[in-house]
Amino acid sequence: MSIAEIEAREAALEPGSGGLWRDAWARIRRDRGALIGFALVGFFVFVAIFAPLLAPEDPRFQDLSRLGGSCCPGPSLDHWFGIDALGRDELSRIIYGARYSLLIGVVSVAVGLSVGMVFGSIAGYIGGIVDSVIMRLTDIMLAIPGFLLAIGIVAMLGPGLVQIMVAVGVTQIPIFTRLMRGSILAQRDNDFVLAARSIGVPRRAILSSHILPNAISPVIVQATLALATAIIEVAGLGFLGLGPQDPSTPEWGTMLTDTTRYLQTAPHLAIIPGVAIVISVLGFNLIGDGLREALDPKMRGRG
Amino acid sequence: MAREPLLTVDDLHVRFGTERGLVYAVNGISFDIAPGETLGIVGESGCGKSVTSLALLGILARNGRVTKGTAMFGGRDLLSLTDQQLRSVRGREIAMIFQDPMTSLNPVLTIGRQIREALQTHFAMDKDQAEKRASELLDQVGIPSAKMRLKDYPHQFSGGMRQRAMIAMALAGEPKLLIADEPTTALDVTIQAQILELLKSLVAERDTALIMITHDLGVVAGMCERVNVMYAGMFVETGRAEGIFARPRHPYTLGLLQSVPRIDAGRRQKLTPIPGSPRNMLSEPAECPFAPRCRYEVEQSRQEVPPLEQLESGHHVRCFNPVPADEWQRSRLGGAA
Repeated sequence: MSIAEIEAREAALEPGSGGLWRDAWARIRRDRGALIGFALVGFFVFVAIFAPLLAPEDPRFQDLSRLGGSCCPGPSLDHWFGIDALGRDELSRIIYGARYSLLIGVVSVAVGLSVGMVFGSIAGYIGGIVDSVIMRLTDIMLAIPGFLLAIGIVAMLGPGLVQIMVAVGVTQIPIFTRLMRGSILAQRDNDFVLAARSIGVPRRAILSSHILPNAISPVIVQATLALATAIIEVAGLGFLGLGPQDPSTPEWGTMLTDTTRYLQTAPHLAIIPGVAIVISVLGFNLIGDGLREALDPKMRGRG
Repeated sequence: MAREPLLTVDDLHVRFGTERGLVYAVNGISFDIAPGETLGIVGESGCGKSVTSLALLGILARNGRVTKGTAMFGGRDLLSLTDQQLRSVRGREIAMIFQDPMTSLNPVLTIGRQIREALQTHFAMDKDQAEKRASELLDQVGIPSAKMRLKDYPHQFSGGMRQRAMIAMALAGEPKLLIADEPTTALDVTIQAQILELLKSLVAERDTALIMITHDLGVVAGMCERVNVMYAGMFVETGRAEGIFARPRHPYTLGLLQSVPRIDAGRRQKLTPIPGSPRNMLSEPAECPFAPRCRYEVEQSRQEVPPLEQLESGHHVRCFNPVPADEWQRSRLGGAA
C-alpha cells in the first residue's frame, strides 16, 4: 500500500467530515445557548406563521362591554393575557404582533445586509479611491446615532410600517458595509486567492466563489444580531408614535405606547408586549452568539 | 539548447513601494527555458525567487511593479500584456504550484469544484465533462479512488494529497510551462520525494517545461538540468547542474553548499554557515550584493556590481574574484581527512 493510499484511508476515517456549514451545524448542536435561541426563535416563527389558528379571536375585534367599567381586566381563563383598553383580546394581539415584528426585522435587516454587502465588497475588493469614498460615507452615517438617523428618515418619509422598515434598514447599512469590507480585506490576499488568479480565474469569479464564501460568516453572525436590534428599534419607533398609523395594527412597540396611560392600573398590558420583545430579541442574540463560535475558522476541524 | 526557447526573460526588474521606501526585489535577471526542460532557481528566503514568477504572470501584490525587462513567450511579451490578455496565459500557458498546500486551496469549496473551476476557465466544458476530467487529473497525480475524493473538502486531505490536488489544478489547463514555487517545502521528507517524482514524470510525459524555485539544493540537484543561483534579486551563478554542484565558482554558491549537512562528511567536519544576514533590499545595489558576507571580497567588489561572466562553457559567475574551481572538492576532502 502506498503512502497516498494510507493517507486516503486515514482521511476517510476522520470524523466531522463535511463542508463548512455541516461542521458548523455539528458544533452548534452541542451549544446549549444556541439551542435555546433556536427554540425561542422557532417558537416565535411558528406563532407568526400559524397566528390565525392559534389566536382565540381576531386581533382587531373590539368589545367594549368586556371592560366592565374598569380598565382593564387582568388575565382570566377566557382571556389569558387580559383585555386591552379598547376591549380587544391581548393574547390575540401578541400572537399577530409576532408577524409584524418578524417581518419588520427580516425586511429591515435584508435592506441593510444587501446594500451593505454590495458596498462593502466593492470597497474591500477594488480598494483605492473607491474604498476611501465608500468608507468616508459610512463614517458619516455612523457618526449619527442609529436611532436618531432612523427617526430622521421616518420624519422624512412619513410614519408607517414600510417607512420604519426602510429607516431601520438604512441605519444598518454602514455596519454591514464596514464588516463586509474588513472581512473581504482579510481574505483578499489569501494564498488560495493568489492560486486562483494564477490559473486565470476572472476577478469577478474570484470574488464570488473564493472570497465571499470565506468572508461571509461574520456577516451572517452580525445579521442575526442585527435582527434583534431591528426588532428593538422598530418597537422603539413604534413607541414614539412613528410606527403603523392604523391604531388597530397589533405591533408590539405600538402596543406598548398605547398602554402608557394605564400603566398604574393595568401594568400587564405593558409587561406582556415587553416580554414578547425581550424573548424574541434574546432568541436571536443567542443564535448569533452560537453562530459566531460555530463559524469561527479557528475552531474548524476541532470538536 | 537545441530547441527554441519557450520563455526568454531579459533584464527583469521588480520594485515594491512600501512605507519604508522602495524595495528592489528583482534587479535584472535573464534566463530562458526550452520546452521539456527543467530549470532551477535557488536562493534564500527573500532573494526574489517567488517575486520573479509572480511578475511573469502579472499577479504581483498591489504595490509591486515591473520596472524594466521583457519576457518573451510564444512571440508575446508577457510583461506588456494587459490583465485581460494575461488571464488567457495564466493556467492555460503557464501555471504555478504554490509553496503551502495548506493555504493555497479554498477551505470552503470541494477539491472537485476547484479543479473544475480551473478546467472551465479555459475550456468550454459542461459540468459533467469537467467532473470527469477532474477525476482523471486526480487519478494522474496519484490520489486513489479519485472520483469519490472530488467531493471532499481540503481539510479532509493530508498535506501531500493537497499538494497533489494543487498539481492537478495546475495541470488542468495543460500549460506549456509549470512554475513550481517551493513545492515541497511544507511537506515532510518522504512526501517530498513522492511529489518530486510525480512532478518529474508528469513533465516528462507532457513535455512541459518546469521552473523549480527552491532553497533546497538537494531538490535542484535531483531535478534540474540547469541551475540559477539567486542572491539579492540577481543571478550570481548560472550553469549546468553538474558543473555548479561539482565546481561552484561564486562564493555564495560555495557557502550554500558548505552549509548543507552531508551524510558522507567526516564526523569532525563542521558545517560552515554563511556569516551575516541577507542584504537589505531598500536600496539599488551599487556594489557586489554579497560583498559584506564574503570571504573572497576584493577592493572592486565594494565599488561596482560585478558582471555575469562566462568562466567555462555555459557556466556564468557574477564575481570579481571567483572561487578556485577545485575549492569545493578540496574543502570536502580536507574536512573528511
